[in-house]
Amino acid sequence: MSERRQIALMLAPYVGGLAGLVVLPALVTFALAFSEYDLVRAPSFAGLENFRELAGDDIFRTALTNSLVFAAIAVPLRLAGALGLALLLHRRFTGVGAYRSASVLPTVIPDIAYGLVFLWLFNPLYGPVNLLLKWQGDSPTTTAWGVQPPQWLTHPNDARAAIIIMSLFTIGEGFVVLLVTRQGLPAELYELAALEDATAWGVFRRVTLPLMAPILLLLFARDTIFSLQWTFVPALIVTEGGPPPYATTYVPLFVYRNAFEYLRYGYAASATLVMFVLTALIVWLQWRIVRRWRKGFSVGG
Amino acid sequence: MRSQVRGVRAGERRWGGWRQPVAVAVAAVFLVPLWFMLSGSLREPGQPPPRSPELIPRPLTTTSYDRAFDLVDLGRHAVNSLIVAALTVPLAVLVASWAGFAFLLLAGRARSVLIGVSFAALMVPLTALLVPRFTMFRWLGLTDTWVPLIAPALIGLSPFYVLLFYWSFRRLPPELFEAARLEGMAPFAMWRRLAMPLVRPVTVAVGLLAFIATWGNFLDPLIYLFDPDLYTLPLGLRSLETLDRTNYPVLLAGAVVATAPVVLAFLVAQRYFLHEERGAGWLGR
Amino acid sequence: MSRIVLEGVRRRFGETTALDGVDLEARDGELLVVVGPSGCGKSTLLRCIAGLEAVDEGRVTIGDRDVTNVRPAARNVSMVFQSYALFPHLTVRENIAFGLIVREEPKAEVRARVAEASELVGVEALLERRPYELSGGERQRVALARALVRRPYAYLLDEPLSNLDAGTRVQMRTELKRLQREVGATMIHVTHDQVEALTLGDRIAVLDRGRVRQVGTPEDVYTQPRDRFVAEFLGTPAINILTPEQARPFGEIPAGSVLGVRPEHLRLGDGVPARVELVEVAGSDAYVFLDGGLVARVEAERRPAEGEELSISFAREAAFLFDAETGERLDR
Repeated sequence: MSERRQIALMLAPYVGGLAGLVVLPALVTFALAFSEYDLVRAPSFAGLENFRELAGDDIFRTALTNSLVFAAIAVPLRLAGALGLALLLHRRFTGVGAYRSASVLPTVIPDIAYGLVFLWLFNPLYGPVNLLLKWQGDSPTTTAWGVQPPQWLTHPNDARAAIIIMSLFTIGEGFVVLLVTRQGLPAELYELAALEDATAWGVFRRVTLPLMAPILLLLFARDTIFSLQWTFVPALIVTEGGPPPYATTYVPLFVYRNAFEYLRYGYAASATLVMFVLTALIVWLQWRIVRRWRKGFSVGG
Repeated sequence: MRSQVRGVRAGERRWGGWRQPVAVAVAAVFLVPLWFMLSGSLREPGQPPPRSPELIPRPLTTTSYDRAFDLVDLGRHAVNSLIVAALTVPLAVLVASWAGFAFLLLAGRARSVLIGVSFAALMVPLTALLVPRFTMFRWLGLTDTWVPLIAPALIGLSPFYVLLFYWSFRRLPPELFEAARLEGMAPFAMWRRLAMPLVRPVTVAVGLLAFIATWGNFLDPLIYLFDPDLYTLPLGLRSLETLDRTNYPVLLAGAVVATAPVVLAFLVAQRYFLHEERGAGWLGR
Repeated sequence: MSRIVLEGVRRRFGETTALDGVDLEARDGELLVVVGPSGCGKSTLLRCIAGLEAVDEGRVTIGDRDVTNVRPAARNVSMVFQSYALFPHLTVRENIAFGLIVREEPKAEVRARVAEASELVGVEALLERRPYELSGGERQRVALARALVRRPYAYLLDEPLSNLDAGTRVQMRTELKRLQREVGATMIHVTHDQVEALTLGDRIAVLDRGRVRQVGTPEDVYTQPRDRFVAEFLGTPAINILTPEQARPFGEIPAGSVLGVRPEHLRLGDGVPARVELVEVAGSDAYVFLDGGLVARVEAERRPAEGEELSISFAREAAFLFDAETGERLDR
């Protein structure tokens, strides 16, 4: 078999998979967004009706806000956490392997098991978190500071905070990427900085950060995309989209419900499209901002 | 290049000075979910809930596990998960490494196009693919089977793994493959004899990631599987949760059953890429 | 006064001893070249002077100040790395100015010094470029400029020419020497290239396995090696070593010793018969490889033909006698 044939064969599964499982479905979603479809009757063209409905749909608006706010808060925190971990654990010292593994472990837990643990941890009355907070309190219902502990699953903002906190433990992937990046940086630059009397903060600002900027940007974009979708399982399992009204209904949950519980595929597709466009917009904005920021990265500036 | 051994600098204390205690504290925080998963599962179900945060429940018992296996056919679900993983993971690694290697052999234009498409595919949200894929599988009569769960292996589970393999192959000396080509070696042979043996850490990493993704996949089984006999572990846990939502020890017992294999796989595989000092490993560019 | 003195310096890395009791002095304003094979500890030596490695035993003195426990930044030395260590995201100007900016020197001062340093090495035209746009030689100069701009006590250069192609290397060698003369600085230059050492240094120190074998002017070390290692390490082609057996036709040497004869001291004419196996011409010189393993160096015009039978001899006074076991020079 000729070389060309073999290469084509090697590519065949992937290209076929891409076409059938990604490209085609993406195009179909795009088309479905403009239709009404419930899987039983044939799809009927609906023009922009879905989008009009979305615009007026309070639930969707809430879901969108929830998703965006979540991403806006969680992504920087997660990235900062991953960077902090990488800088803490990149050198070799006793036990560092164990510490690295420990940091990655939460990421490895299956989503649903992860959700169940936090269902337990965040139980407002008996969960370990609140029990710990109430431990030193004066009465059985107050914390050491005399206030009520967060009612994680029953108050809207506390519930949202809970979802955010859950996302802070699963930074394993970002951590590993940043760890390997940091280890790959030339040691001479750091030695030079040592010779030039740079402080720890100076080294971070002038050496580490600029050199890691490209990867950080990539991770930032990827995590944004990821965060806008990740909330599905926690929202489904832990908070069930509540507490009412829809405090932790994020767009993925919204889409899922409309598609598989209400059987409104066209509507769900239009929501997805809106989400996708927004995501692309956000990533593009990030890229622009960081590019300008990098331009101003001169040492003298 | 000689290898650089780096010691302590003058006027400096040994590293790990302040890092040790901080690292210990951080590691402890990150172990919280697993710890409480385990300790929570060892409580006796039906007991009144604790009054104070207890790190280790008293009495320590495994009755929750029995109960979990009673309520839901966890054993069978675990086996199902295992079968699906056993089929998906090797396939994914195969497809990803083939594609990644083919990228290497392609001419510039074709390669750029494929890489671009792969990147774009990475950005497509999962929700955009849910409905059409479901429709397609339904049309093919493949819902309520494991096929939709295994099918993503055809894109190597994620274009990211294809790219990862590609970057790793690219870091190998090109002369290796040029010499092989001159000797008349075919692509598949090159892949098998030259490329793969040299990127073992990457293969392990991708295998691990693929296993984690497959084992923990909740969304696809949720949508495609209706017959409880076919349920994988995540769905089994979901059933457990709908049956007895407040019986935490039992829920957590199920969680432990679902989590243990992945944690184990991770601990075994991680020494391939978490212990390197210099970034010469799988992601170093 | 910017002398650098090392006394009894030892540095270990786990099981291996990189530096095994090093005593060395670089005099004020001289260019000292530390030369030795890879793994001999020369880089470690430099890093100990810079403070990038702590010493396990011994003392380091810079400019009459004991800096053994002083951190690198406070030692007032500059280092040029083999890989140049230029920041890829900064321009040439910013790279050169890096140290000054970290120390927050006033902007006017920074500008002036950067201009001065870049002119000294000849990169004024490249100030706004980035490292990836420069050739190896140009990057080398930028690294030098960066070292110069701080006006330290002394300069430490870690194999700075090793990454350059042959032509640039020779050119930069001369530039380096000229620069050092002009600035009048104390420089310690580390290399594995013995030709570089012999041409560049005011004095050279030969290092082997963590120990200083000999220190002296290039001429001294070449013509009067203290031991076999030094004799074999310096000189192209390498010195001929004759066992008592091989030396017998020329004369007797005591048992337990070996004789070292430099290729340029082997005369073709009368004496002991030998056959020419191979002749290599290198410009104006020719290397004649004889049976028996000896190599002679003659003028290219006077070279013999391959296969020719001739006679060789050498002046006994020009040869060195070494102890066969310890390698020490026996006939000083």
